[in-house]
Amino acid sequence: MSLRVLNPNAEVLNKSAALHMNINAAKGLQDVLKSNLGPKGTIKMLVGGAGDIKLTKDGNTLLKEMQIQNPTAIMIARTAVAQDDISGDGTTSTVIFIGELMKQSERYIDEGMHPRVLVDGFEIAKRATLQFLEKFKTPIVIGNDPDKEILKMVARTTLRTKLYEALADQLTDIVVNAVLCIRKPEEAIDLFMVEIMHMRHKFDVDTRLVEGLVLDHGSRHPDMKRRAENCHILTCNVSLEYDKSEVNAGFFYSNAEQREAMVAVERRQVDERVQKIIDLKNKVCSGNDNSFVVINQKGIDPPSLDLLARAGIIALRRAKRRNMERLVLACGGEAVNSVDDLTPDCLGWAGLVYEHVLGEEKYTFVENVRNPHSCTILIKGPNDHTIAQIKDAVRDGLRAVKNTVEDESVVLGAGAFEVAARQYLVNEVKKTVQGRTQLGIEAFADALLVVPKTLAENSGLDTQDVIISLTGEHDRGNVVGLSQHTGEPIDPQMEGIFDNYSVKRQIINSGPVIASQLLLVDEVIRAGRNMRKPT
Amino acid sequence: MREIVTVQVGGFANFVGSHFWNFQDELLGLAADPYADSVFRNQHINMDVFYRTGETQQGSVTYTPRLVSVDLQGTLGSMSSRGTLYNESSPGPSDVITWAGHVSTHASEPHRKNLFLESLYEEEQEKLTVTSRINGGENNSRREINDKDIVESLENGVQFWTDFSKVHYHPQSIYELSGLWLDVQEFDNYGIGKDAFSGGLRGEELNERLRFFVEECDHIQGFQFVVDDSGGFSAVAADFLENIADEYANTPVLLYAVRSPGSHTNPRSQKQSVSRDLHDSVSFSRLSSFCKLIVPVGLPILSGSKAATYLALKDEKPYHCSAVYAATLHSTTLPFRLEQLGPTADSHDISGSMDVNGVVQVLAGQARQNMVAILDVAMPAPPLIGKQVEQTLLGNLQPLTPEIAEDVEDLQAVESITVHGSFGSGGNRASVSEVNNMVGTAYRNATRRPMFCHLSVAQCPLPIPLPFPSIFGNHVGQHGELLDSPIMGSPSRGSLEVHSIPMAARLRSSSAVLPFLENRLVKLRRYGVERGASGAQLLRSWGFGQDDLEDMAEMLSKMVFALDPHSQMSSDSD
Ligand SMILES: Nc1ncnc2c1ncn2[C@@H]1O[C@H](COP(=O)(O)OP(=O)(O)O)[C@@H](O)[C@H]1O
Ligand SMILES: [Mg+2]
Repeated sequence: MSLRVLNPNAEVLNKSAALHMNINAAKGLQDVLKSNLGPKGTIKMLVGGAGDIKLTKDGNTLLKEMQIQNPTAIMIARTAVAQDDISGDGTTSTVIFIGELMKQSERYIDEGMHPRVLVDGFEIAKRATLQFLEKFKTPIVIGNDPDKEILKMVARTTLRTKLYEALADQLTDIVVNAVLCIRKPEEAIDLFMVEIMHMRHKFDVDTRLVEGLVLDHGSRHPDMKRRAENCHILTCNVSLEYDKSEVNAGFFYSNAEQREAMVAVERRQVDERVQKIIDLKNKVCSGNDNSFVVINQKGIDPPSLDLLARAGIIALRRAKRRNMERLVLACGGEAVNSVDDLTPDCLGWAGLVYEHVLGEEKYTFVENVRNPHSCTILIKGPNDHTIAQIKDAVRDGLRAVKNTVEDESVVLGAGAFEVAARQYLVNEVKKTVQGRTQLGIEAFADALLVVPKTLAENSGLDTQDVIISLTGEHDRGNVVGLSQHTGEPIDPQMEGIFDNYSVKRQIINSGPVIASQLLLVDEVIRAGRNMRKPT
Repeated sequence: MREIVTVQVGGFANFVGSHFWNFQDELLGLAADPYADSVFRNQHINMDVFYRTGETQQGSVTYTPRLVSVDLQGTLGSMSSRGTLYNESSPGPSDVITWAGHVSTHASEPHRKNLFLESLYEEEQEKLTVTSRINGGENNSRREINDKDIVESLENGVQFWTDFSKVHYHPQSIYELSGLWLDVQEFDNYGIGKDAFSGGLRGEELNERLRFFVEECDHIQGFQFVVDDSGGFSAVAADFLENIADEYANTPVLLYAVRSPGSHTNPRSQKQSVSRDLHDSVSFSRLSSFCKLIVPVGLPILSGSKAATYLALKDEKPYHCSAVYAATLHSTTLPFRLEQLGPTADSHDISGSMDVNGVVQVLAGQARQNMVAILDVAMPAPPLIGKQVEQTLLGNLQPLTPEIAEDVEDLQAVESITVHGSFGSGGNRASVSEVNNMVGTAYRNATRRPMFCHLSVAQCPLPIPLPFPSIFGNHVGQHGELLDSPIMGSPSRGSLEVHSIPMAARLRSSSAVLPFLENRLVKLRRYGVERGASGAQLLRSWGFGQDDLEDMAEMLSKMVFALDPHSQMSSDSD
């Protein structure tokens, strides 16, 4: 999908024209994204030039698929994508907030106000809003045993903005349990320890949490078992293939025998490494019916596979680098870089290892592990775009739970925060400043309302009615958001609609920064060009 | 089996790749064609080196290149990045099964299939309907598309590399960089590509795709990189290579840095010229630090060059120029896939097979350790007759590598030359031993000869597929023989007139490459390293600090020194 907003040569534009160009670009981008927002938003089907199709409800994905050419729009898009990189959510909100700040400014600028005054007002309003957020947020106690219910509510809120309710609800437990599985006390949560794996399956839409690991490859030897129980797992990064080592890899052997001899020596070294693994297997598997599985980051060539297969070992090669870490977290043991000092302590454990084949795609499940700190979310879907959407949603859900744990707080959603902040700015903050700067604060306050307004609009409701009843309730001291069904005020707390604190803070922070740059147009044009060509 | 995984990065690289795979596809087709010339039916070329066998979920067997291709979003024309082999039916709005709310559709301007792609499509449909016709299915409503019209429409209308591709690619192969919001013109220097790989999980995805192809290899012999190093893709490739060097440390990388004549246009300002020069220096040093052998390919003007003596091509058409480079790459990769013969066996059809590591050892593993090779081609290769072989064959091998010296005496030069499909006396294909003898004689009689030369020979010529451009001059006959008198009336000849050509290609490690290296070293020092250098700030914005630049200069000067120990330039001027 391409958004072609006019892109004239910025240098020759006079200030006012440039300013209006910026405003129009920001509004243009807002227009494209606003129908995405919230649980009643529209999913977009993008049909490419070759007829290929991408489906997305996610602002972030949508922006990336768009071929944006207007430098101002690109700047906003970069900010919004950065918003997602940093906090994992809030892309759509960022874009529509920036668009609305520009729209509100336009009114005043057309009446002759200098953009500088607005920018000053934005700065004051931003700081006040951030302070207000600190008071407004709902702290939660995480501790060693976090309240799962609140985590689920945050996850559910975000998932329901990407997937239909039943599917979202099914995923809610999965993402919460996944994050709790990998969480280690006193350490930052590394979401990479949750593997997200997908399978294309004609008739099936299903997602499940595998406590353990799913790898996207299988063993490469016909005689290796496809299913094994009570498995010792050796996680290693050791070359088990004959690759000519650099030094001896002379092309000019003086004669054929020398060449043969060289090859034999190198082959023997590989065989010896394989033998060490077999020795360890024999040590831990003798006298019982345990199995032995090798998962190697490096290659394993056919002769080595033969040896391993003959010893009854299942072996996978070229495992993802990250799976080395994940395997150890899931199964225990350690990842070894050499087979020289192998001991049984290096080994992890899985109750069940089995292979699943779909066409040319193979999957290996490492399950029934003892005390996993890594897990896999396995997504099944009939086609790539369904899978892609569920994957996007899962990522959002995981980030939402991680943020909640790390923020130790959440923010009431459904527009409640935006309305509350707006009332605070208008009723409390505005009067603390003199003169026209007040108008900048007012513009900022009104721009916040774009979130509840858009939520209402996407639900097919009358935005004015909704805003009036919401502000009315707030003035009476009731913190409410809007019902996506009726537009009536609801208590987000009761409904369990919570957003991430860090996401909100980031939106409030970055929105006015970009809007200000766009308003102070001299800087914008230079900034715009800088982003494109570092000359 | 010794597999090779190919990686193509950037616009022109994909043009080259598209032709390259067309040749392979043509060879595959001819090998299976009972009516084809026996030289094509018994090629003794192991296609599995470059191709993988797979299976769709429906159980159909597929055979596709072991390839990862990277390009900007929007450069695929009418081809879908997932190809059509593993086809899943396209969804309509009603197939949105994850969302209960509204669906809105946004369609971009559809790219119409050109005549060639349309005919390919119809051919496939026909194959499919053959079965249904047996069951009394509908009539064949195929509109005859005339080959002549196809060739003409390609001549005038190629815009994307997909426009002339006849190959089915695996769904994991074609990757578009999205979310950069840059168009091709803007993506023109190292700095602008610096975050393109690492940002937005793009690098993760590319590593995963590469892993998909590597995991299934029983014993990979190397990676073949084709990189359009004229702009931001240098940085993408360098970052990708850095990951590969890390993950597959023992697997050699052979890299072709390719450029279209268009990328050599004159800079508009001093500033732009500094930027261009620094790009060339930085790009070359970054790319060469992650591979075992680097081959710069691409003349500023190809059409008038000696390499194009028998060609009639247009420099402004990437479709034309990339065809020449692809043909040459095909030849230089032949040794990697000539069937290995036992120690005692001899073949009439091939000799001189060698793996990627072998060619690296021959060219870069000798005393000088020079890892920059020059690429030469004779397209078509002249017949190997009589005493003039020296002048004809060796004389016809002309460089495709820019900025090199002519006529240098280099006693330590080493070469690897591939000759295939060439004619001997009486217009017959020369036998392998004939070629071996002839080339041996040629070298013995040559005034300048390399210290060592590895020769690979095959009988199978380069087949010219239908979508190959009309770039042969009117001295080139149907089988690529060189005619004494030109064919009248047609300035250029294409796939309908020329069906195959004999080829000779050569990689050489020679001090002739010194000017190329020195240019990069001098420019880097002048604009980047020296105190107050005019490009220092630019390089900082590309993410390079003073230390990085000094390391690069050091590396370049070592390369110069290896080839010319007396160079004034190789030592730092302190
Ligand atoms: N059930 C609900 N009712 C009303 N508003 C909701 C509900 N769930 C989420 N929201 C609101 O939707 C907005 C998030 O929408 P979303 O489409 O995820 O956009 P973004 O990309 O900005 O995160 C938040 O303002 C949130 O409070
Ligand atoms: Mg969201």
